[in-house]
Amino acid sequence: MIFRAVEDADLIRQAARGSVEAYNLLVSRWEKRVYNYLLRITGNREDALDLTQDVFLKAYQNLRKLDDPGRFTPWLYRIAHNEAYSMFRKRRPETDVEDIEPGGTGMGITVGGSSVFPIELSLAVASALERLSPEQREAVVLKIYQGFKFEEMAEILSCPISTVKSRLYTALELLKIELSPVKARGLS
Amino acid sequence: MSCSPFDLRDYFLRELADPQQRQVEAHVKVCQQCREELDRLRITEAALVSLRDEEIPQRIAFVSDKIFEPTPWRRWWAAFWGSTARLGFAAAALLSVAIAIHAFRPAPAPIGRENSRAAAAVAPVSEDEIRQRIQAAVDKAIPEIEARYAKRADQLVKAVELRHLEERRRIMAWADRLDLEDKATRMSAYNFRESK
Repeated sequence: MIFRAVEDADLIRQAARGSVEAYNLLVSRWEKRVYNYLLRITGNREDALDLTQDVFLKAYQNLRKLDDPGRFTPWLYRIAHNEAYSMFRKRRPETDVEDIEPGGTGMGITVGGSSVFPIELSLAVASALERLSPEQREAVVLKIYQGFKFEEMAEILSCPISTVKSRLYTALELLKIELSPVKARGLS
Repeated sequence: MSCSPFDLRDYFLRELADPQQRQVEAHVKVCQQCREELDRLRITEAALVSLRDEEIPQRIAFVSDKIFEPTPWRRWWAAFWGSTARLGFAAAALLSVAIAIHAFRPAPAPIGRENSRAAAAVAPVSEDEIRQRIQAAVDKAIPEIEARYAKRADQLVKAVELRHLEERRRIMAWADRLDLEDKATRMSAYNFRESK
């Protein structure tokens, strides 16, 4: 476990009182996670980076409205989710958000240099994720990659927990079918 | 279909409460079908996490310059205007002060009555009398003004004469010095010739 001299909640209180240094520290703690969340739901590095910048700017502007610093993380991801979907709508206003597919296949080349997993597996995972609907994919990203609880996911996505579970379990069923043989081959 | 006492996926995702978690754990130990389902979920998760997080290509640039940081006074000012309660309280306080000042201020004298008294004190004066008074004032003022102008002209003449005298003295002194220098030059030239 990483020891943190100053807790996020303290930084949030200081930032709400106008301390830019405290907010910068908070940004440095969360920027990578928020960027990767946005990267996985948009599939585009430039968009993810721009959106991450917007998210932290908007969060700073609205920090005083956050009543409970303990709810900072889902609150921040809620902003990120809204920013991403706002971008989707602007780009394709005539299209229903449910039909929007992320642009490009940025995830397909996301293989870390020190990864112990074979490239074939990473490509298969990226391809399987792209075949999910945007909502299913976001549910997987929030649960598997970001480790949120159902309750927090419901807050971020602004929908009931039952909807969150439905999206996630459908996605897992599809991924299980897609990935089981690949995983077996990859690790053998 | 799972025969687990609680949803196997909730168990796998650690969303169950501790007692329920333990119940499913005990069930899985004895149920081959649920164990296999759990293995499939684990394999899927392991495959998913093979996609690692990327490093952010560029740090998020956030304003860190002290100049952009609001001063305590500005923060207070912004908070003051942003708070309806504070604004309401300030308005009520101002109103109270205004009422208090109004209550303790001495009442002004009625204007109409004062004017009628002043009007009564002034007796009616004829036009001839006014003309005579003006003429008397003019007759008195003219010699005074003439005397004042004469005195000022006299002072100016004296000042000019004094300045002229000083100027003349300075020129004379300057001429004397030039004359002396000329003599000295001639003397040195003569001495120089003699020495040759």
